[in-house]
Amino acid sequence: MSEASGPVLIAPEERPIRQVALLLWRDKFAFVAAAYLSIVAFFAVFGPWLVGDLATSLNLRLRNAPPGSIEHGWAFVLGADALGRSILARLIVASQNTLGIAAAAVCAAMICGGTLGLIAGYVGKWPGAIIMRFTDVLMSFPSLLLALVVLFVFEPGVKNVIIVLAITRIPIYLRTTRAEVLEIRERMFVTAARVMGAGSIRIVLRHVVPIVAPTLVTIAAIDFALVMLAESALSFLGVGIQPPEFTWGAMVALGRNYLGSAWWLAFWPGLAIMLTTLALNLLSSWARMATDPTQRWRLEITDKYDG
Amino acid sequence: MKRIACLPVAALAAFALQPVAAQAQDITIVLSEEPDLLEPCQSSRSNIGRVVKQNIVETLTEIDPNDGTITPRLATEWSQVDELTWRFQIREGVTFHDGAALDAEAVAYAINRTMDENLDCEVRTKFFGGLKVTPTPVDTYTLEVATDSPVPILPTMMGTVTVMSPNTPMGEPDREPVGTGPYKFGGWNVGTNITLARNEDYWGDAPDVANAAFVWRSESAVRAAMVATGEADIAPNIAVQDATDESMDVSYPNSETSRIRIDTMIPPLDDVRVREAVNLSIDRDAIRGSIFSKDVIPATQLVVPSINGHNPDLEVWPYDPARAKELLAAAKADGTDVDAEITMIGRLGIYPNSTEVMEAMHAMLQDVGFNVKLQMLEVAEWVDILTKPYAEDRPPVLQQSQHDNNNGDAVFTAFNKYHSEGAQSTMADDVVDDLLVRAGAATGDERRQLFQDAFKRINDEVIADVPMYHMVGYTRVGERIEFTPSISTNSELQISQIKMR
Amino acid sequence: MGQYISRRSVHGLVSLIGLLILVFFLSRLTGDPTNLFLPLDASVETRQEFAERHGFNDPLLVQFGRYIGDLAQFDFGTSLRQQRPAMDAALEAFPTTLKLAAVTMFLAISLALIVGALAAYRPGGRFDRTASVISLAGASAPDFWVAIVGILVFAVSLRWLPTSGTGTWLHWIMPITVLLIRPFGLLVQVVRGTMISALSSAYVKTARAKGVKERVIIFVHALRNSTLPVITVAGDQAAAIVNGAVIVETIFGWPGIGRLMIDSIIQRDFAIVQATVLLTAVAIFVMNIVIDVAYAVLDPRIRHN
Repeated sequence: MSEASGPVLIAPEERPIRQVALLLWRDKFAFVAAAYLSIVAFFAVFGPWLVGDLATSLNLRLRNAPPGSIEHGWAFVLGADALGRSILARLIVASQNTLGIAAAAVCAAMICGGTLGLIAGYVGKWPGAIIMRFTDVLMSFPSLLLALVVLFVFEPGVKNVIIVLAITRIPIYLRTTRAEVLEIRERMFVTAARVMGAGSIRIVLRHVVPIVAPTLVTIAAIDFALVMLAESALSFLGVGIQPPEFTWGAMVALGRNYLGSAWWLAFWPGLAIMLTTLALNLLSSWARMATDPTQRWRLEITDKYDG
Repeated sequence: MKRIACLPVAALAAFALQPVAAQAQDITIVLSEEPDLLEPCQSSRSNIGRVVKQNIVETLTEIDPNDGTITPRLATEWSQVDELTWRFQIREGVTFHDGAALDAEAVAYAINRTMDENLDCEVRTKFFGGLKVTPTPVDTYTLEVATDSPVPILPTMMGTVTVMSPNTPMGEPDREPVGTGPYKFGGWNVGTNITLARNEDYWGDAPDVANAAFVWRSESAVRAAMVATGEADIAPNIAVQDATDESMDVSYPNSETSRIRIDTMIPPLDDVRVREAVNLSIDRDAIRGSIFSKDVIPATQLVVPSINGHNPDLEVWPYDPARAKELLAAAKADGTDVDAEITMIGRLGIYPNSTEVMEAMHAMLQDVGFNVKLQMLEVAEWVDILTKPYAEDRPPVLQQSQHDNNNGDAVFTAFNKYHSEGAQSTMADDVVDDLLVRAGAATGDERRQLFQDAFKRINDEVIADVPMYHMVGYTRVGERIEFTPSISTNSELQISQIKMR
Repeated sequence: MGQYISRRSVHGLVSLIGLLILVFFLSRLTGDPTNLFLPLDASVETRQEFAERHGFNDPLLVQFGRYIGDLAQFDFGTSLRQQRPAMDAALEAFPTTLKLAAVTMFLAISLALIVGALAAYRPGGRFDRTASVISLAGASAPDFWVAIVGILVFAVSLRWLPTSGTGTWLHWIMPITVLLIRPFGLLVQVVRGTMISALSSAYVKTARAKGVKERVIIFVHALRNSTLPVITVAGDQAAAIVNGAVIVETIFGWPGIGRLMIDSIIQRDFAIVQATVLLTAVAIFVMNIVIDVAYAVLDPRIRHN
C-alpha cells in the first residue's frame, strides 16, 4: 500500500522466466489462478497413484456422509458419495480423466477447426465453400444424436466422448480462424510477402498463424469449461463417461439425484469445474495483457484500485 | 434498497401462487413422463395407463392388487363354455361419455380394435402375442370370446383390455379417448397438461374429486418439490432420496422385481457353480436400506408374493463370500475358465439409483475374485442385448433388468424369461420347459403348483439369475387429499380412489 | 443486398440438404426402434411383423427414397410414437423455445453491455474483478445444478417462486435466469475485451480531448466498437438455445423443441428427429442471414465485399 502513491515501473529483466514470474506476481488473481492450476495439474498426473484404492472402495455405511467432519479420517472431510466413497479422493482421481478429456477435445477441435479455417479463409474458392457448408451442417446437428452415433459405431469408452466433444467444438474455431484469415490476407505485409514471391504455405505459417493463434488460445480457455460442462450433460443424458470411469462432470451428473438430500455430492465437483474455468480465464486474460504491448503497462504498474 | 425491492416481489409471488390451489375438489397429479398418445389400447404403458385406465376407460374385469383375484368391473360375471371359449355377462345400464350404450356389440368392437395389427396396441403385443381372439355377441349383454388355443386365465387377461366407445375409429390411434369411466377426457395442452372432469352419469359410486389435471416433470426432486409447495397433490413416483418427509411420503410395493440376468449359455457362466458364486457374492442386506429403501424385500424369484404361482418356500441367497470363493476354486479345478472377463450390463435410469447399485455389485463381485467389467448403457442398446436374437459371439453377460407383473398370474412372467424359446430367455432346461408348458394349460391348484415347481427349479438348480428385490416406490401425497398407493399404482392411478380431506 | 441474401439462401439450402441426408443416415446407425416401441415381452415373431409393416427391414436407400418422395409433397413423416404428422409436433413445441431464446438473449445482451462497459472503464479495478469473477463463475456452473438448487431455495424454502411449469410471469424468472447466465458471462467478457481496446484507441482519445462527457464516451463511442463481436457471440449463443434449451425445458417442464428432440432421439422416433432438426436448422440459418445483414449495415467495409 505504501507504493500506492505512484506507479512503479519494473525494469526490463534479462531472464524471461523471471520476468514472467514477476508479472504474474503483480497480478494477484492470476497468481492464485496459476497456483491452483499447478495443484490440479499435479493431481491429474500423480493423483491416481497417490490416492490408490480410496477413490473406489465402497463403504455403504458411510453413504452420503456429510462434509466438515474428520471422524472417518481426512479423506472424508468433503463427505462421502452415494456409495460411501471419499469425495475428496474421487475429486483427485477424477482430475486426470476430466482434464485429459477436456484438453484432448479442445486441442483436437482447435487443430482441426484451425486448419480447416485456414484453408477456407486463405484458399477460398470451392474448398472454402465446401468447408463452410460442412460447418453449417455441423452446427445444426444435434450433439446427442452425434454422441449416440459414435456410441453405436465404436466400442464405448473415453475415446468416444473426446471425439464427440471435439466434433461439436470444431465450428467455433473454424469460423473464428476463417474470419481472421480473411482480414489478415488483405493486410499490407501479407500482400507484400506474396508480391515478393513467398509460397502460400510459407505465408500462412510465418505470417498468418502467429496472428490467429492467440485468439484461438483465448477461445480455448473458455471452451475448456464448456467442454467439461458438455461432458457432464452427456453423462446426464446417458451417453457420456459411465461408471466405473468417472470425471468431475459425471460426478455432478450423478450427484444431481441427491441435491435435495445430500447437496455435497454435486457441489464439490461443480466447484472444481467452476474454479478451473475461472483460473484458466484469469490466466488467459493475464496472458493476453502481458503479451499485448498496448496493455502491458497495466501489469507493470501496481494498480491503486487493486490495493 | 435491495431489501425494499424484494418485498413487492415476494408479495406478488404470494398473490400469483394463490390461484394454483384452485377449487376445493380439483387436484393436480405430477407424473414423470408425458403420454405420447391417449390411446386406450396402449394403456399397459404406465405413462398412458395412469391417465386413462379405469379413469376414462374401464376393463371387463379388474385384478385385486392385494391378492391377485379377479373382480367384476364392466362384466358382472363370466364362465367357461368350453376349452376355447369364455362367456362374459356385460353390465347393464352403462353408457359411454359420448352417449353410446355399452353392450356386447360395443365390447366386441373394443376387443377387435385392440387386436387390430395396424394399431400396434401394446395390450395385444404384450399379453396376447400370437393369440387369435374372436369376440361374438350372443345377445345384447352376453359376449362370447373364443381363442385359437386354450387360455385358462382369459378373465385375468381381460383385466388388461380397455373398452373404448364404438365411435372410436378402427385402426386409427386416439388422442381424445371416450370410455365409460368415472372421468371424462377434458383437454390436452401438449407439453403442459391433460385435464379430466368427473362423469356425472357414472354407473358406480360418485367420486370425490371433481377435476383432475396431470402434469409432467422428469426430475424426481422437482416432483417432490411441487407437492411440498402445494402446486401438485400427488407425485406417484419419487426417488427414495427425495422421500424425506414422513408425513407426506408413503412407500408401496410397486410390483417390480429387480434382478441380474445370467447368460447361462456362455462360459464361464455355463458352469452352475459360477452362477451360484455370483449369487453368494452379493450382500443384499447392505444394499437394502442404503442404496435402496429399507422397505424393499429380498427376492427369491421374479414374481411378487401376490402373484398366482409364487413359491413361498424358496430361500434368499445368503451373503457368503467364502463359499463363493470355494465354488470358484472348484470350478477352476474342473477346467472352467473362471478368470475370463464377465461383462456387467446396466441400464441408466431403469429404476432410481440403478447406476449406484450396479457399481456396488461390481465391487462386491470383484472382492470375491470375479473378473468383471461394468458397462452402463442407454435404453436402446440395452434392449438389443436383452432380447432375442442374441449375437452369436456375445461375451458372458450379467444384465441388470427389472420385471413388472401386476396382472395376477405367473404366466405373464415365466414363459418369456425362462422357457428356452422365450424372447428374453438365456437358459434352456427341458424340465423347466415342460413344467411351464403344462402350467400354462392348467387351472386352479395344479397351475399354481406347476409354476411353483418351475420357479424352484429355475432358482435353486438352474440358477438363471440373481434375484434382487421386490421393489418399492415412493408416493408423495399432499395434505389436501387422502390416497393410499397400491401395487397397481405403477400402471394405473384411479382418481376415484382419492378422497378430499 | 438482395443478391447477397439470395446467394446466402442458396448456400443455406445446400447445407440444409446435406444436414437432412446426414441426419437420416446417421440416425439409422443408432438402432432400430422396434425393440424400443414394443414391450420387452413381445415375441420374436411380433417384432419381425412390426419391423416389416413399418418398413424398418427395407434397405436404407429405399427408406431414404420414400422419405425424399414424401418431403417433395411437404410430408415430413409420421411420428411412430405420437402417431401424427411429425411436423405438427415440432411446430407445436417451437414457439416456447423461440420465446425463451428471445427473452433470454434480450436480457443477456442488455445486461452484458452495461456490466461489460462499466468493467472496461477501469480494467483491473474492483468492479471489473467482481464482475469478471461472477460472470465467469456463472458461465461455468452446470445449469442443471443451478436449476435444481434454484427450485429448492426459491420455491421450496423461500416460497417466492413457483417450482416449475408455465402460466404467470413468475414462472419465467427461474428458467430465464438459468438460461441467462452462460450467454451473459461470455458476453460480459466480449464487451469488456473490445471496450478496453476501444477506450485506448485514437478516436476515444480525440473525443476525450474534445471534452465529450465520459458517460457518452463509454456508452456511445466505445460501445459501438463492441457491436460486431457481441452480435457474433450472441448469435452463437442464441443458436444454442434455439437448438434446444434442453435442461431448462426438462427440469422446469417447458414444452420446447429441445426436449422433443432429445426424447425422440432416445426413442428413435426418426420422423420427429428429422422434423425438429429441419425446423431448428432453418431458424438458425435465417438468424445467420439476419446477423450477416446486420454486419453489413453496421460496418460499411463488409458491405463492399
